Amino acid sequence: MTKAISFKSRMATLLRRFPFIPALGMLMLLFILNGIAEPNSMTVRALKGVASTYLALVFLSVGQTFVVYTADIDLSVGAILSLVNVSIVVIMSQFGGEPYVVLLALGAGIAIGALCGLMNGIVVSGLRMQAIVATFATSILISGIALWVLPVAGMPAPSLFWKVYGGRSYGIPNVFFFIAILIALLAIMAKTGLVTKLLAVGNGQLSAYQSGLSVTRIRIYGYIICGIFAALAAFCITGDTASGDPLVGGAMTLSSVAAVVLGGTALSGGIGSAFGSAIGAIIIGLISSLVFYAGVPSQWQNLAQGATILVVLMLGVLASKRINQ
Amino acid sequence: MSRLKLQQICKYYGATTALASGDLLLERGEIHVLIGANGSGKSTLCKVIAGSVRPDGGTFELNGKPVMLFGPQAAREMGICLFYQELSLANSLSIAQNINLYHLPTHAGGLIDDAELNKRAEHYISKFETVIGEGFTPDAPVAKLRPDQKQLVEIMKTLASEAEILIFDEPTSALDRSQVECFFSILRELKEEGRSIIFISHRMDEIFDIADRITVIRDGTTVSSRLIEETDHSTVIRDMIGEQPEAAALEASLAPQAEKKTESCLVAEGLSGAHIRNVGFSLAKGEILGLGGLHGQGQSTLLRTLFGAEKLQSGTLLLNGEAVHPTNPRAAIKNGFSYVSGDRVRDGVITGRSIMENVSPIHFLKDKTFLAFPSVLARIIEPALGALNTKYSSLGASISSLSGGNQQKVVIARWLTNPPDILLLDDPTKGIDLSAKSELFALVRKLADEGMAIILYSSEDGELLAHSDRILVFNNGSVSRELLGEDKTRFNLYEAAYSGAQ
Repeated sequence: MTKAISFKSRMATLLRRFPFIPALGMLMLLFILNGIAEPNSMTVRALKGVASTYLALVFLSVGQTFVVYTADIDLSVGAILSLVNVSIVVIMSQFGGEPYVVLLALGAGIAIGALCGLMNGIVVSGLRMQAIVATFATSILISGIALWVLPVAGMPAPSLFWKVYGGRSYGIPNVFFFIAILIALLAIMAKTGLVTKLLAVGNGQLSAYQSGLSVTRIRIYGYIICGIFAALAAFCITGDTASGDPLVGGAMTLSSVAAVVLGGTALSGGIGSAFGSAIGAIIIGLISSLVFYAGVPSQWQNLAQGATILVVLMLGVLASKRINQ
Repeated sequence: MSRLKLQQICKYYGATTALASGDLLLERGEIHVLIGANGSGKSTLCKVIAGSVRPDGGTFELNGKPVMLFGPQAAREMGICLFYQELSLANSLSIAQNINLYHLPTHAGGLIDDAELNKRAEHYISKFETVIGEGFTPDAPVAKLRPDQKQLVEIMKTLASEAEILIFDEPTSALDRSQVECFFSILRELKEEGRSIIFISHRMDEIFDIADRITVIRDGTTVSSRLIEETDHSTVIRDMIGEQPEAAALEASLAPQAEKKTESCLVAEGLSGAHIRNVGFSLAKGEILGLGGLHGQGQSTLLRTLFGAEKLQSGTLLLNGEAVHPTNPRAAIKNGFSYVSGDRVRDGVITGRSIMENVSPIHFLKDKTFLAFPSVLARIIEPALGALNTKYSSLGASISSLSGGNQQKVVIARWLTNPPDILLLDDPTKGIDLSAKSELFALVRKLADEGMAIILYSSEDGELLAHSDRILVFNNGSVSRELLGEDKTRFNLYEAAYSGAQ
């Protein structure tokens, strides 16, 4: 009996330190199911395909997490992604695909993402508007700018760009290096004071204010980080699709929110992990490939996908509840 | 030169005055106690000093220089830190993170230095080593702690500011004796170091144990400030009450009614539950029994327990000689209980529905009516509303079209359609205007005269003294004193509430 209790409390401590454990279990399960449905899905080649398709969503979800930490939300991440996507493609095609131009375009993309995040932060935190409505409005505004930059989809990205993204180094696909860099980045970021402060704000704005934290500024930082990650996501999507599309990100916004929740971060703020959101994004990716491999007829694919996401969400909630009780 | 000098600080929230004229002189190396009744403005004054409330007027001098604070951060920079009564902790973060939240120690690269974080937290935790209880490790999340442990974390967080001016707003309300003693010895050390400490508590013995100077605030105004040697319990209580002739007159005029002697209809013995301990009383028909004492000492819980809304763990309850066990409100209502809460939004009003629908539910429950015809219902509802002089345009109008006072009348009218035997009033006049209050109490007295037994809890001491026949003073979940007849004075009420059991 006491043994069971100590096991449970140890699990609870583990879960508090690593809120993404249930998501990680789900990820493993989906991997295995994918392998059973289609043994070929376990090859490096297939994994590379999944990784390069969903890396953009991974970055987007990670960015979203830093905003959700403070109990805010950013519904404009998809629009930011689109704007950065078309902007870098236009810059690269205007100035030619030389390596230094590509680097310049990437720098400009990150600046655009950060600026969009700053705008969101000022609107939500500075002007104290409801995050859900305010970022919905800015998403339309940012989409409008993206359409002005590139009215029609299809402008190609220079070959250098997508060759690096889709290529291999030392025999290993480059996307795996990007994932490794992301994990290292997240490990470092988790140790920054800013993340602790974002979580403190999410636990209670009044308490954080009374503790002497500058709540307004901290929330703005959250949005800026989110914007920068949306820009990184845009680089991935540009590498994957090799072209510019002003509407490419729109459908990804809510997927990023779902991934954040799947990863164990509370929408009410104050608790969670960015690494969990990355896992959540891959879970969403694996669910769609599972539905595809399982041979579900095309008209039923959306239904099957939605139902599976619901089931996975419920399992995650139940698992953490059982452990925390 | 005083370290801190406040003069005529005022703060208004709309029409209500939180602080009318707050004065305070704080010296180096002193423990300065602030005391005053509920809502007298102590906490507001503390928040002004700590920068989290901006005053509407008055002068604020720190070390002889006038300053203007823009937020708690500015106050921290100037060496002022406040222990918040309602706590300012981040529940999902660890104890160490909470203690160090304002200054998170970092490595040269800007990343958090976990070893240093835990070391600093340990430094403050070790001061309380003997009294912290189980599970109090630097990496434990605050959410898992007991209320007294959370209060200790807030104390440590305040101490960790190492500020020159430390303000503690009711830091001991959840602590036990040994924890308080440990805390007090730390406060004395800080005083020796020359720090200035402002301390708020409602426990009189604690105050006289630790204070160097006692400042009394009444109705938002500083009324006295005396050295501890120059004052005593009754002087402090007299300062808190002030002169209130009109209330005294009211009390005298109503005194004879306490003499009535009738058969008792509700007898309770040894009631215990979540926030009440061993409460016993008897209630007679036609009597108004008042529950007094500081906020949250178990008065509300007792009423909710009698009504079946909180769990009764042990004790016996005799209703007209028969044992009853309140298990849920539905059963209690059938036994003749009724309950009116001051928290209209949570417990009373059915928002968005008509006045008729708001009055009729108890009638439906008690009469087991299957079909409801508005014309029939109106004949029952109109007299009930009329008894309270409720002002409304039509029974079909939405409840939200009424003022707060009239909404509360509708909630009370709900019970009058099928009059109960026992009426439980849980701070019923919270947030309603004066004329509605007097009409309400006139009705309550009338109901009592007709034979209803009534228990009244009010957070306004004047109301309680004026309208109850007898008062049970609550302290920490149990009855510390019974006031009746000539003893039923404001002085005795305050003394019993602030000094604890006699």
